Amino acid sequence: MLETDTAVASKTLLDVRDLKMYFPLTSGIILQRVVGYIRAVDGISFTIERGQTLGLVGESGSGKTTIGRTIVRLYKPTAGQMLFDNVDLAKLQGEQLRQARQRVQMIFQDPYASLNPRFTIGSLIAEPMHIYNVASKKEIRDRTAELLRVVGLRAEYIDRYPHEFSGGQRQRIAVARALAINPEFVIADEPVSALDVSIRAQVLNLLQNLQERFNLTYLFVSHDLSVVRHVADRIAVMYLGKIVELSDRDELYRAPKHPYTRALLSAVPIPDPQIEKHRQRIILSGDLPSPIKIPSGCRFHTRCPMAQDICREVEPVFEAKEGREHYAACHFSEQVTPV
Amino acid sequence: MDISERLNLNSTTTGDEIEPFLEVTAELVQKRRSQGRIIFDRFMRNKMAIAGSLFLILMFVLCFLGPLVWRLDPNYANVLSVTNTLSPPSLAHPFGTDDVGHDTLARIMSGGRVSLLVGLTSMLMAILLGIGIGSVAGFYGGIIDNVLMRFTDVILSIPLYLLLFVLSASFTDGTPKSVIILIAIFGWTYAARLVRSEFLALKEREFILASRTIGAKNLRLMFRHMLPNAAGPIIVNATLLISTNIILESVLSYFGFGIKLPDASWGQMISDGQNLFAVDPWIIIFPALAIFLTVLSLNLVGDGLRDALDPQMTER
Repeated sequence: MLETDTAVASKTLLDVRDLKMYFPLTSGIILQRVVGYIRAVDGISFTIERGQTLGLVGESGSGKTTIGRTIVRLYKPTAGQMLFDNVDLAKLQGEQLRQARQRVQMIFQDPYASLNPRFTIGSLIAEPMHIYNVASKKEIRDRTAELLRVVGLRAEYIDRYPHEFSGGQRQRIAVARALAINPEFVIADEPVSALDVSIRAQVLNLLQNLQERFNLTYLFVSHDLSVVRHVADRIAVMYLGKIVELSDRDELYRAPKHPYTRALLSAVPIPDPQIEKHRQRIILSGDLPSPIKIPSGCRFHTRCPMAQDICREVEPVFEAKEGREHYAACHFSEQVTPV
Repeated sequence: MDISERLNLNSTTTGDEIEPFLEVTAELVQKRRSQGRIIFDRFMRNKMAIAGSLFLILMFVLCFLGPLVWRLDPNYANVLSVTNTLSPPSLAHPFGTDDVGHDTLARIMSGGRVSLLVGLTSMLMAILLGIGIGSVAGFYGGIIDNVLMRFTDVILSIPLYLLLFVLSASFTDGTPKSVIILIAIFGWTYAARLVRSEFLALKEREFILASRTIGAKNLRLMFRHMLPNAAGPIIVNATLLISTNIILESVLSYFGFGIKLPDASWGQMISDGQNLFAVDPWIIIFPALAIFLTVLSLNLVGDGLRDALDPQMTER
C-alpha cells in the first residue's frame, strides 16, 4: 500500500505491513472451540522514520493500544510484517525476540499499574540493565541515579517505593526505565491520559526533550487530539481496527480527508467562547460497532454523515489523496470540508 | 552510542534545565513508612491477632524450651507408685499423670514438639508444592493449566480423611517424618489453587506486561515479580494450613494411624486417655486444650494477617 522506494526505506525505522491481530473468541469449558474473532487490528500499514513521532489516535476500542502491544510482541500477530530496521519483529522468537526488545521499549498508560509495587524505583529502573547484563552492579546503580536525574527526579529517591510518588513522578520513573537500556524506538501508550491535566505538559515536554537528546523515535498512542498535535510529526487516525487517514500533522488538522477525522477535529474544544458558540460540530450518532461483527463496505458507514450506497457495499481503498503523503480511506474524501 | 556517554553528556550540559520539573509533594515530605512497617502497624492494631501470636510464642517456648526447666522424662513410667498414676493436677505434677504414671506436662511438651513440627514442616512442604504447581498452571495456562488443575481436582474430590487412613495404615511407620510427608502430599491443593488464581490475575497486570517488554524471562517474571505480589494470600493460607495440619495429625493419631508410641503427640494422648475419661478427665483435658488453643491462635493470627496484608488497603 505504501510505496517503499529505497530513499525512504533507509530512513525508515519501523515499517508495518498489513498487520492483523485477531483475538479468538472461545466457548466450552474443557474443549475450547473458537467461535469467532475480535478483529482488534485488521490490516494496518504504516512507516515511522528515525527520530520522528507518529501519533496514533482513535476512540476507545479502535485497536490503537493493541497495535502498540503487538509491536513489542506482547501479542503474536495473526498476520502481517513489522519490519524494524529490516528485521521482522513478527517472526522473532525466544532469545532473538528478547534481544530485539532491547531496542523497542514501551511506556504504559497507567503509572499506578505499570510499576511493580514491591520493587523500589531504583530496582525498577535498573532491572532492564540487569536483564541484559550491560554493566557491573556499581555502574548500574550509578546509571540508575543518573537516569533519575535525567527525568527530573532526585537521585536520593532511588530506594523508595512507587507508592511514595505522585502520578506524574511515577510516569517519569516509567520513562526512565524505558530509557535504561538505550532503546531506539519507544511506544508511548497514552502516557498522559491517566495524569492530571496540570502535569501532562511536564511529561510531554520531558518526552520531547528526551527525543531530541537521544534521537528517539516514538509511536505515540492517544485519544486526545490536542496532545497528539503537540508531539506528533505525522498522525494516523484509527477506526475499528483500520487506519482511515494518515498524514502530516498540519495537513491533517487543516484539511482532513476522512469524515471520521473531520468529526474528531470538530469535537476538539476551542478556548474562545465566541468561536466556540458559532462553530459547527459534527456529532456522530451511535457507538463504535463491535469488532466481532464489522460492518460491510466502509466500516465507518454506520455512523458517517456522508454515507452513500457505495459505502455500504465497497470498502474504500487506503490510498494517497492530493498530497503524496496524505493517505485516506474514503470514497468521498474530496468532499470532506477543511477545518 | 554507549549509554554512559549519553548520560554523562546529559549531566554536564543539560542536567539543570530539567530540575524545575521537580515537585515536592506533601506525600514525600511526610514521614516515610516502609510497606512492611505499614503492614506490621496494621497487624498490631488487631488485638485478637496479638493475643493469638502471644499464645503461639508461649506454646513454642513451652514445648521447645520448657523441657530445660521441667526435667521430668515424658517416657518415664512410674507404674509402681499408686499415687503417681491417674493423679489429678498437683504440685509434683501440675497437669497430673496418666495411667502408667507419665507426667502429663512433660508429655504435653514432647507431644507439642511433634504436633507443632508436623504442622509447620508439612505446611512448608505443602506450600512449596502448591506454589510450584499453582504458579506453573497459572503462568503458562492452556493445556498445562488444564492438566494440573484437573489433577488437583481429582485429589480434592477424594475424601481426605479416608484417604489418609488407608494410606497411613500401609505407608507410615508411626514416626513424625512419615506423617509429615503424608499430610504434605495431600495438603498442597488449596495452596495450588490460590497461587494459580493469583497468577492468572497478575499475569495481565500492566507491571507484568511492562517487565515482559523489557525482556524479563519467564522465571524472573514468575518468581521475582508475581510471587512477591501474591505473598499476602499465600502467607495467610500458610498460617491456616498449619492449624489444619495440626488437626489432621491429631485426628490421625487419635484413630491410631498417625504418631505411635513411644513418640507422643497431642492427638495420640487424647486417643490414649479416652477410655479413662470417666475416671480421670484431666488426662484428656490438657492435650485437648493445647490443640484447641493452638489452632484457635493460629486462626486468629491468620485472620489478622489477612486483614493486614489486604492489597486494597496496602495500595492506599
